[in-house]
Amino acid sequence: MKEKVIPYKMLLEVISNSYELVWRIVPEHEMQVLKMGLKNLEKCLIDYIQKAEEGLPIIGYHFACPAEFLHCFDCVPICIEGTSYLLAALLPNGSEKYYDLITHWGHPYHTCSSQKGVMGMVLDDLFKFDVITTPTAPCDNTYASYPFFKYKDIPLVITDMPFIREEKSYEFYAEQIKIGLSEIGKIIGQEPDFDKIKKSLEIENQSLKLEFELFELKKATPCPLESMINPMSAAAAVFMAGRPEKLDFYENMLALAKKRYKKKESPIEERIRSIWPYMTIFFDLALCEWLDREIKMSVLLDIFSYNLYDPVDTSSEDKMFNDMARKSMNFPMIKQSIDFYDDFIPEFINTTKEFKADCGIFTSHIGCKQFGSIPQLLREALRDELGIPLLIIDIDVGDKRFASIKTVKDKIRMFANTLL
Amino acid sequence: MSLQNDPFLNISNSINNEYIKEWQASKKRVIGYYCTYIPEELLYAANLLPFRIRATGHEKTELGDILMVRFTCSFVRASLDLALRGGFDFLDGFLICNSCDHSRRMFEIFNMKVFNREGFKKKVPRFYFSVPHIITEEGFNWYWQEIIELKEELEMAYNIDITDSNLENSIKVHNENRRLLREIHRLRVLEKPKLSGAEALRISVVNSSVPKDITNQELHRIIYKLKESEGIKDLRKRIMFVGSIIDDLKFVNLIENSGALIVSDFLCFGTRNFLDDVQIGGNPLEQISKRVYHRISCPRMMDDHERRLKFLKNEIKTAKIDGVILQRINNCDLHGCDNMLFEHELKELEIPVLNIDREYVQADTTRLRTRIEAFLEMIK
Repeated sequence: MKEKVIPYKMLLEVISNSYELVWRIVPEHEMQVLKMGLKNLEKCLIDYIQKAEEGLPIIGYHFACPAEFLHCFDCVPICIEGTSYLLAALLPNGSEKYYDLITHWGHPYHTCSSQKGVMGMVLDDLFKFDVITTPTAPCDNTYASYPFFKYKDIPLVITDMPFIREEKSYEFYAEQIKIGLSEIGKIIGQEPDFDKIKKSLEIENQSLKLEFELFELKKATPCPLESMINPMSAAAAVFMAGRPEKLDFYENMLALAKKRYKKKESPIEERIRSIWPYMTIFFDLALCEWLDREIKMSVLLDIFSYNLYDPVDTSSEDKMFNDMARKSMNFPMIKQSIDFYDDFIPEFINTTKEFKADCGIFTSHIGCKQFGSIPQLLREALRDELGIPLLIIDIDVGDKRFASIKTVKDKIRMFANTLL
Repeated sequence: MSLQNDPFLNISNSINNEYIKEWQASKKRVIGYYCTYIPEELLYAANLLPFRIRATGHEKTELGDILMVRFTCSFVRASLDLALRGGFDFLDGFLICNSCDHSRRMFEIFNMKVFNREGFKKKVPRFYFSVPHIITEEGFNWYWQEIIELKEELEMAYNIDITDSNLENSIKVHNENRRLLREIHRLRVLEKPKLSGAEALRISVVNSSVPKDITNQELHRIIYKLKESEGIKDLRKRIMFVGSIIDDLKFVNLIENSGALIVSDFLCFGTRNFLDDVQIGGNPLEQISKRVYHRISCPRMMDDHERRLKFLKNEIKTAKIDGVILQRINNCDLHGCDNMLFEHELKELEIPVLNIDREYVQADTTRLRTRIEAFLEMIK
């Protein structure tokens, strides 16, 4: 049983070590976002590993299937994309070894590294999934890569997400979620318990309120939180979904932000306010700290924090599933992928305006073809509507070999110099 | 008897052609599309000529590269480049579905950049519908509903009525077209094939650019001509060609000039598009939707790899294939991963396989030739 989730054990070890190190070395009032994030991640991982050792089924899931949906089962949910990238962020040598394993097996070099990592780990026999589930979103990488798991004899449950956000889409996808959960239940021999989902969704709803408050506070100048809040929010969305640790994380973040806001304090000597339409990088978490300290550039928002969805109405099963579908289809990156640029561009311009950003930085990720035709359109829109520039960096957000951290920093430094 | 200088097939080298001009001269419209998941019969029933967008012979991508990053498909970038230079100004409508991430985004980009560029005055209505990514009963119902809505949108945009009788007539024309293409395919898989892979590709490309009633007449003529011919007698390795879109002869010629003959394929300008017919009877729009949704899929259909593999295995037997060439346009994740699985599965069956990547515009010819020649030598 112990061998079912080896990468989670690797993650736990590296998170515990990092947490201890940060607490011991860094002054108490510094890097508080990182400390709080690591503390809660550690708790979640300890719990998941314990459950895996108890023999609960291991359910792999795509990040676009919010993890709290799987709380209707007694299981260990493992996020395919989150695991690849958290390991990329925290392991000394990243996830590159696993990217190489699957690439040598024939996986195209240009396909998203977020899936490559766990695919390589499956080839290396590090995970023993009982079932994997994914929606048919957000991108070609998903439809292309997930059949590999089926080839490796792992049952694959697919829910079909329409590529258009209309009322009928939510109704359709709500049914798909029900069918999907029922299929997973059959595979692992459990009946889905919707009361359990309800409890997790209520935690999510409470957390969402805090996230909205935090979102508003981040509009302040200077921004009251470190840029590290962005990758930590991504980690929270994936690893802490529907769990009390997520509430604890956001309660602490909000309290910290409020305290600083009242005192007009900021951890950053903010000179440049940036907004990242896509994501920050995962292969070097220290980038955010470097931006704060060296460049005095705050990262106000990235894709995991600028689009928030509505809470889920849990008053009846029908409403709950309809809102679950709504949430799934408005999840970060999913919304932008199934939507049209016609809406995305003006919405993004408004957000940039509200946050009084001085510039945008777009990490143009090799795996992401959905976003492959937006950088230039956004650059033109930001320039024409707000008169602010957008830096586009070609990169693999999870693999340091494509564009090294030095290259990334050099580009940002030169860009920042043109702004000051 | 070669089809090399057949004037009808020479249309495959160009984008616009005389038939399209005649069609438009008679006050009928042309609608552009990228992917074969659109219901051609519906458009044709509305007197809208479905024109499959391609960039055959266009070797530039500079303008497309401004709007699409270099990790995107060079076929889509080349077609966008051509569009930005006015190559598709003749279109009267534009229809997109979510076939792949690259082509789907043309829905927005054509609207913002191609049809909105300085000096271009024509109003080009655009249409979008969402195709499911797995094959299920619920998925079919979704797709069918989308097609019903598309019909209504077409009727409103062009102020037309599309009747069941129009649809039934269109189904007949298209079924006949597919029957003729299958007949040509049967002549291709013979022991002495009556046509080469390059000729088959030209037929397929022309077929997507000319009104089907005219194509059908020409296909009858071509079939007659092929049947009369002696067939290809020289001993060459029989290859099945699988993967990303191809509409240009250069790559096919590279393979066939290296000592191989492409006797079958699994391409969207090829077998994938003519294997299945629309059933006659019942609601014609439902039947049209059924064919498109349930036909042999491309890798955008996430849960259908086994059926695609089965087709490959059957075709390898039927066409007496010596080896399979899997290819993808760089940055095509869909074909890249499907090919990855095919490679493992076919090797397990001891079928020689070559898996290569390429650009839409023929480049890197020496590397490709070396690999192809080495592969052909390896086949016993």
